[in-house]
Amino acid sequence: MRQDLSFHNYKRVYVWELPVRFYHWLNVLCVLVLGITGWLIGRPPGLTSLPEAYQQQWFGTIRFVHFVTGYVFLFNFLFRLYWGFVGNRYARWNQFIPSTRRRVNEMVEVIKVDVLQTRIRGIIRIGHNMLAGVIYFVTFWVFLFQAVTGFALYSGMSDSWIGRMCAWVVPVFGGDAVVRQWHHAMLWFYVVFTLVHVYLVAYHDYVEGRGTASSMVGGWKFEREDLLGH
Amino acid sequence: MSQRIVVDPITRIEGHLRIEAVVDNGVITDAYSAGTMVRGIEKILKGRDPRDAWAFTSRVCGVCTTVHALASCRAVEDALKITVPRNADLIRNLMFCSQYVQDHVVHFYHLHALDWVDVVSMLSADPAAAAQLAQSISPWPKNSPGHFAAVQQRLKSFVESGQLGIFANGYWGHPQYKLPPEANLMAVSHYLDALEWQKEIVKVHTIFGGKNPHPNYVVGGMPCSLDIEELGAINTERLNHVAALVKDAIAFVEQVYVPDLLAIAGFYKDWAAIGGGVENYLAYGDLPTRGYGDPTSFRLPRGAILGRNLAEVHPVNPRDLAEIKEYVGHSWYRYGAGDGAGLHPFQGETELNYTGPRPPFDALDVQGKYSWVKTPRWKEHPMEVGPLARMLVAFASGSTDVKEIVTAVLAKLDVPVAALFSTLGRTAARGIETQLVAHWMKGFLDDLIANVKAGDTRTFAPDLWEPETWPATAEGVGMTEAPRGALAHWIRIQDRLIDNFQLVVPTTWNASPRDPRGQRSAYEAALVGTPVANVDQPLEILRTVHSFDPCLACAVH
Amino acid sequence: MKDPGRTLWQALQEKGYSRREFLQFCAVTAASLGLKASAIGAVVEAFEKKPRPPVVWLHFQECTCCSESFIRASHPIVADALLDVISLDYMETLMAAAGHQAEKSLADTLKAYDGKYILLVEGSVPTGGDGVYCTIGGRTAIAILEEAAKGAAGVVAWGNCASYGCIQAAHPNPTGATPIDKLLRRTVVNVPGCPPIADVMMAVVSHILVFGRLPDLDGQGRPKEFYGRRVHDTCYRRPYYDAGMFVEAFDDERARKGCCLYRMGCRGPVTYNACSVSRWNGGVSYPIQSGHGCIGCSENGFWDKGPFYQHLSSFPGFGIESTADTVGLALGAGVAVGVAAHAVATNIRKRSLIAENRQESVVAREPSDDKKVQP
Ligand code: HEM
Ligand code: HEM
Ligand code: NFV
Ligand code: SF4
Ligand code: SF4
Ligand code: F3S
Ligand SMILES: [Mg+2]
Repeated sequence: MRQDLSFHNYKRVYVWELPVRFYHWLNVLCVLVLGITGWLIGRPPGLTSLPEAYQQQWFGTIRFVHFVTGYVFLFNFLFRLYWGFVGNRYARWNQFIPSTRRRVNEMVEVIKVDVLQTRIRGIIRIGHNMLAGVIYFVTFWVFLFQAVTGFALYSGMSDSWIGRMCAWVVPVFGGDAVVRQWHHAMLWFYVVFTLVHVYLVAYHDYVEGRGTASSMVGGWKFEREDLLGH
Repeated sequence: MSQRIVVDPITRIEGHLRIEAVVDNGVITDAYSAGTMVRGIEKILKGRDPRDAWAFTSRVCGVCTTVHALASCRAVEDALKITVPRNADLIRNLMFCSQYVQDHVVHFYHLHALDWVDVVSMLSADPAAAAQLAQSISPWPKNSPGHFAAVQQRLKSFVESGQLGIFANGYWGHPQYKLPPEANLMAVSHYLDALEWQKEIVKVHTIFGGKNPHPNYVVGGMPCSLDIEELGAINTERLNHVAALVKDAIAFVEQVYVPDLLAIAGFYKDWAAIGGGVENYLAYGDLPTRGYGDPTSFRLPRGAILGRNLAEVHPVNPRDLAEIKEYVGHSWYRYGAGDGAGLHPFQGETELNYTGPRPPFDALDVQGKYSWVKTPRWKEHPMEVGPLARMLVAFASGSTDVKEIVTAVLAKLDVPVAALFSTLGRTAARGIETQLVAHWMKGFLDDLIANVKAGDTRTFAPDLWEPETWPATAEGVGMTEAPRGALAHWIRIQDRLIDNFQLVVPTTWNASPRDPRGQRSAYEAALVGTPVANVDQPLEILRTVHSFDPCLACAVH
Repeated sequence: MKDPGRTLWQALQEKGYSRREFLQFCAVTAASLGLKASAIGAVVEAFEKKPRPPVVWLHFQECTCCSESFIRASHPIVADALLDVISLDYMETLMAAAGHQAEKSLADTLKAYDGKYILLVEGSVPTGGDGVYCTIGGRTAIAILEEAAKGAAGVVAWGNCASYGCIQAAHPNPTGATPIDKLLRRTVVNVPGCPPIADVMMAVVSHILVFGRLPDLDGQGRPKEFYGRRVHDTCYRRPYYDAGMFVEAFDDERARKGCCLYRMGCRGPVTYNACSVSRWNGGVSYPIQSGHGCIGCSENGFWDKGPFYQHLSSFPGFGIESTADTVGLALGAGVAVGVAAHAVATNIRKRSLIAENRQESVVAREPSDDKKVQP
């Protein structure tokens, strides 16, 4: 096996279609903006000057940006769900679910190779690997959770129909305070996810040299011809 | 012939009180007082932020609302060695005084008066004669024949409607009702006036604390700011509002409450020999004039009186582990050291342990445990607390304004000092105290204004607000005089959290079951010797029990 | 029992009021309910035709503060309500009768007005220990509630206690305190608040009497009329919130100016109540106006959402100071350390793999100099 590894032919594969890339980077922007504005909503800094209230509106503006971005975030997310049904095989919804034994085995394999860092190398998936897929699947649920709790809170202060659709969440949680608490707590999921995710993208790029990082820009990955059957 | 009577619910009180009494030949020979509702607030307080304690303990009672908040803040301040600014003491005094006036007036008219006033009898009164009677004792403008006639007419048609509402099934016509119809009419008219007025005086709480019941307090001072140049703070308009409320309060107390009290008491002097009780009295004192840290400056002094002996006032120290102890020998709790033990509140335990009969039941097992109220003792003595205890301690300590008014009232009723140790004495002491407090309240407002004028507007001490500034462990006691008597909270703080919190509340002292040595507490002792003319209509039990102004939510908590 | 009683109009006539004054009274009542002029007709009709409806008020695990609040009502004042508007047949705090006579008053009303009386409940019901934590006349609160609710035309839960269990239901809820709508299989009007505002309480009763139906309720059983808006939405300090001008300590410069109390832990943004519109005790003030943040006293479980002086509640099991942020920050830092460790380990453990990749790339590049890579 060792000697086999050294000389291979690689093929360029168009993995991430433009809509997926567009979704991805818009989503990154939204999460960044929502995270920062959300953090400020939760812990506004104390200002040292004491102007009249009409002279500034910074906190209101922060909240406004949070809400507008919230809308963009939600529709972008919904678009991605749609693309899960019409996109290419790498974008399909079933890429996120370990539905077969082989996929489960693949997850175990990935854990062994990437986390425990053993040397065994088996199947390589061209889209995201199964473990990544499952994590994205969880992430999608968190996106949904964040959007639903966000709009549930929003329903208390606006007539937005999306807000109204999410208002049922409040009694389920037992009140706005609890919803807000969870909405706030989930901020940390994004922090942790982003840390790990960006690191792993870099890690794969570095260790495997298949262009993982740039694939979300250009859409292309490089795959060994001898493994492309998978 | 021995008969056992049960009165449950005792109404026109706060909370759930049950009295079982043994009547022999028309006189009570033994009595058992049971609190029948528990919430476990001492357990709920564990592990919380000490700065939040006031809000929790405030909900112990909405009738004496504010007093627990005050005691809690003081307990935490004592533990953390925080001294509040003078204005905070003054604002707390103002809220304290307005609470007294409201609570005592409502007690007198709405909780106690129907024990002495026959509503049905007033229907046959002559309004003009009633007005004459009322005008002879007070300049209250609503004491007119026209107004009394309207009230009478209103009640008449109310009764004729057949829907008697809150007046249904009262002991009307009971031979123990002694007032002439005109006095009854005057009292009922003032019952309605008092109901309308009481909602005004509480606005003092609303102004400083944002709402009533359950106004806001804060550890380290008061949450409201004082600034006579700002719209968003307690400013001149707010202070004017308080001044107007205080003025009306003094008028109501002097022109309605106290004259009615004296007029009614004149018809019931026999009750000056009934309902004495334990005859030991305890007061922690309150209303600092030079800061809470200096008890010698209190308008209401601290001390204990034993066995009616007004010649000696004993010093009281709630921090001393030997002085105050709580027993659970007859209460539904379990102590780690055994149920015969007495625990100082710093070491207090609250472990619910019901051993009574399965409901529905007809009788409690009074030989065993029979109440949710614990039994506190001061140096092993059962103590009575409340307005009477406060007035006696102040009287015996030589407080001149108390001495003056007590003496004047005794002279007016033409009874000796010993008449104070009774059901009537208790009710009279409450009125005497209200009159004093209403005037002191005006003094505190003047002091507050003078202080602001001198440039001191601070209401809050910020230095020890953050938990990082606190020691790892701390212990404190917060004391006050609630309307019903001596109230204290004990707190132990560990790692910035409440480790133990214990309340010993006025009605805990008064309404508790006997201690393991068999000594009765105040209600039970006061009932012994109370006559009961008709066991089916135990009006006399209500008179004596109501004279304490029971609050069972407080007692049990 | 005698005939159902007089109407309010009759009562007022007897008090010497003219028809014109009566109509004025109705208009004021209607206005206090926030009604449009067109609805006044209904008010007039209700007060003219109906006798005083019987009302039963039960107390269980409570602090009687809801009763105290109720008697602070200013329109109508409670004396007028008791004498002219309702027939308060059972209420331990005010009723003359005690003991057996009190029990008789309750039994009489339940029987004579079966299906017609209104039941108002103050306090939660302890379900722990088979109900021994609250008994009245030797009977459990549960038994009394069930009996009284059976024939009630409408049931109102006063305050946070009856609506949500309030303080006694706070952790660890030693007595199993339970809100009444969890025990009754019927619609309960929840009027939360610790206590609720006096005039809101009075208005809820009036709403039922005047319009002959329960007010519209939200998902938590609260009348939308009074609980449809957050304290924050109509708080007069709101401009300071939007401007980001916050009080940072009690009695600081901003506190005197009346800035927003959000950073002092104000729960106004997550609390549905009428405080900032109706205000307390005849419109005198409300908590925020007097310098203290809202503690959320009308919200479900608000006691366990402290500490009250910080914006986020502490995270259960992590101590009072630890909010989601302290926990999250620790987690984030842990993950960052893990990532760094992983990166270091990668360079050690996958050294040869990375070297092979480099080797492969060197070889692969050579032929590309003279030939095309792909056929
Ligand atoms: C990545 C997604 C999001 C993150 C990380 C995020 C984060 C946050 C944070 C940390 C807060 C402060 C909570 C507090 O401390 O009280 C907040 C508040 C809020 N967020 Fe989000 N949020 C996200 C998405 C959304 C979405 C999609 C909406 C929908 C409109 C939304 C609506 C709100 C609302 C209404 C508030 C309360 C603001 C206020 O009451 O002034 N959020 N968010
Ligand atoms: C500089 C930052 C980032 C880079 C370079 C990056 C790159 C990538 C790449 C290369 C993939 C495909 C992974 C694979 O082949 O398995 C991917 C997928 C994904 N990334 Fe990122 N990412 C970044 C930041 C983020 C952030 C901040 C989020 C959201 C919080 C995010 C959410 C996702 C999601 C949900 C997917 C799955 C895409 C799909 O299939 O729809 N990424 N990212
Ligand atoms: N006992 C008692 Fe209280 C009083 N006064 C409390 O401290 O009533 Ni509710
Ligand atoms: S809701 Fe609050 S105010 Fe009302 S009875 Fe309960 S504790 Fe008291
Ligand atoms: S004080 Fe409270 S309710 Fe008012 S604007 Fe600020 S956060 Fe909102
Ligand atoms: S604490 Fe309660 S009284 Fe109103 S302002 Fe908040 S809901
Ligand atoms: Mg106690």
